[in-house]
Amino acid sequence: MLVKEVISPPGAPNETFVINLGPQHPATHGVLRVKITMDGEYVVRAEPICGYIHRMQEKMGENRTYAQYLPNTSRIDYLSAMTYTHGFVGAVERALKLPVPPRAEYIRVLTSEMNRISSHLVWWGAFLLDLGGFTPLLYAFDDREKILDLLESITGSRLTYSYYRIGGLYNDIDDAFIKGTREFVAQMRPRLKMYKSLVTDNIILRKRLLEIGPISKDMCRKYGATGPVIRGSGVPYDVRKIEPYSAYPEFDFVVPTFEEGDSMARYLVRMEEMAQSLRIIEQALDKLPSGPVMAEKVPRVLKLPAGDYCYAVEAARGRFAVRIVSDGKEIPYRVKLRTPSLSNLSLFEEASQGMLLPDALALMGSLDLVIPDIDR
Amino acid sequence: MESAPTPVASPALPNPLAHLPIPFQAVDYAAKGYHLDATVAPDQVVTVAEQLDKEGLALDTITGVDWLAQGQMEIVYDYFHPAKALRVVVRTRIPRDNPEIATIQKLFPGANWHERETHDFFGIRFLGHPNLTPFLLPEDATYHPLRKDFVSC
Amino acid sequence: MEAPQDNAQLLSDCAPYVKFAKLDELLALGRANSLWPLTFGLACCAIEMMAAGASRFDLARFGAEVFRPSPRQADVMIVAGTINKKMAGAVKTLYDQMPEPKWVIAMGNCAISGGPFVFPGQYAVVEGVDKLFPVDVFIPGCPPRPEALIEGLLKLEEKLTGKRRWPVVKPD
Repeated sequence: MLVKEVISPPGAPNETFVINLGPQHPATHGVLRVKITMDGEYVVRAEPICGYIHRMQEKMGENRTYAQYLPNTSRIDYLSAMTYTHGFVGAVERALKLPVPPRAEYIRVLTSEMNRISSHLVWWGAFLLDLGGFTPLLYAFDDREKILDLLESITGSRLTYSYYRIGGLYNDIDDAFIKGTREFVAQMRPRLKMYKSLVTDNIILRKRLLEIGPISKDMCRKYGATGPVIRGSGVPYDVRKIEPYSAYPEFDFVVPTFEEGDSMARYLVRMEEMAQSLRIIEQALDKLPSGPVMAEKVPRVLKLPAGDYCYAVEAARGRFAVRIVSDGKEIPYRVKLRTPSLSNLSLFEEASQGMLLPDALALMGSLDLVIPDIDR
Repeated sequence: MESAPTPVASPALPNPLAHLPIPFQAVDYAAKGYHLDATVAPDQVVTVAEQLDKEGLALDTITGVDWLAQGQMEIVYDYFHPAKALRVVVRTRIPRDNPEIATIQKLFPGANWHERETHDFFGIRFLGHPNLTPFLLPEDATYHPLRKDFVSC
Repeated sequence: MEAPQDNAQLLSDCAPYVKFAKLDELLALGRANSLWPLTFGLACCAIEMMAAGASRFDLARFGAEVFRPSPRQADVMIVAGTINKKMAGAVKTLYDQMPEPKWVIAMGNCAISGGPFVFPGQYAVVEGVDKLFPVDVFIPGCPPRPEALIEGLLKLEEKLTGKRRWPVVKPD
């Protein structure tokens, strides 16, 4: 165990100092500032300070029509942009009781899972960069470029897609995409095996991550942590299984859960999730129904009935939920975005007490944060 | 007893928390996205949080809605159960010109940041909160941008 | 004593082996070939910047893959992402800490003019990084492709050396 109580020897002066991590720092994955009070090399108190990339996403919800808000949804968490658009579009469709054609639902699941893999690859590369290993980033980005090429061929964009529309999709997939995706799945599986033998089983990584940053089930519950953080602490909470949405009930996949609650458990959850996403993609390609990709009667002017509507999706980082409060007009009255990174980071202050600074950064990296997700 | 996540048009929707003294109304999940909804008085929010904590629910988020026309602010607490499909929404309304309410931060430490954010956006004061300073806005911000009468500075 | 014609002959004999140039041009060539960027990814454009540094688009070909976390060691600040009013002070401090000669590339629509986050009544976004300090190259896009970032770097090199040293790639 490397977590120690910070005890000053009797008679020694209790000198702590404050250092500033960020907002410009290679390891904070964005503009996060952490004010750390240190006792030598140990963290006494780490206080995250957010707001450096606050882009008024919720205020813009009150200034844009439902259709005009779609580009914003991709930019909240740009690494899993598809799932975030899914959350917003699902909330509007739920409120309007708009039936989405089955082919569109399958393609939504397919592209969301591809997005999940590309997001986990960026996490993996950046996390290892934090721990000091530079090479996996290049391998991760290489795999990711294949996914981005496929998604670009149907959406036109590499990062912030806005592919889903209210009522379905705006563009159908073609045979070249299906063939390319099957080839991608075939070449990704051996790559995951290579990552396991080169990186996951690497003794240096194991020493850096095993028993570092334990987070208990109760801490997750008190802070509302979701996603790989709660699944790495032994709770199999996944929105795709507990509150199924879209076409997920028709797919056969496992939710990886590890009991230990340390950084290694969270790491293994994400690596295993990539393998499960490949399974879902294959099933989606095999069972893809034919038909239209857009609902038949989508009103030209979207006005939701008064009231509030929620829709939640399992994004790469955890549970993303949209709550739209409508007063019957074309523009929402209030859009609330419940983002996973905010809840996941809020436990960092309590969880990092008494840790060595590099271990605290390993813990922060294992939480997989995207800062615009926190600041919105 | 669990409420099923698939849409069921049943005449009486189940209320798994009926044994608690909270005025829950069961809601059709497929239409709204949550299972139970309760409106309580502002001085009840801490007791409700205690009872839901004992049931093993987790705090999802806290937010506000500014009802300018009615002179009130609504605070919405979202809770969820980590093991089964149970989403609970607790609402309360406070007067807009003096928006104050007790904090639930001692029961759910995650509420610390949600309440700070709600204070940032709406100016709602959470009594007993250890650190109600701006969270997403600049440290010297005195404005509350999501109020409906906010005019850009 | 040598006659002036022999000097000219001497110079043309040396030409394959020795290059004569003004010191300015040599320095500009050296700087253009090794622009070291500051790691200043703020938001979504940062991911495309990382992709430009990765192996497919490879900024290393242009000498620019050495991203320096410290501004005191960087030449060029690639502002990739939205500048917030809360962040503006930190950005200006970083710019001031960079030693001369320094350049700024504004990558993405947010850095050029606030991007998609400008709406009437907006309270948090600085509409363009050129409101804080002078910018040399603007790269539009939301986010711009890594090829666009490379083109922006080549334009900066053209600004430094006075001429474009790399071919323009025309799509088929």
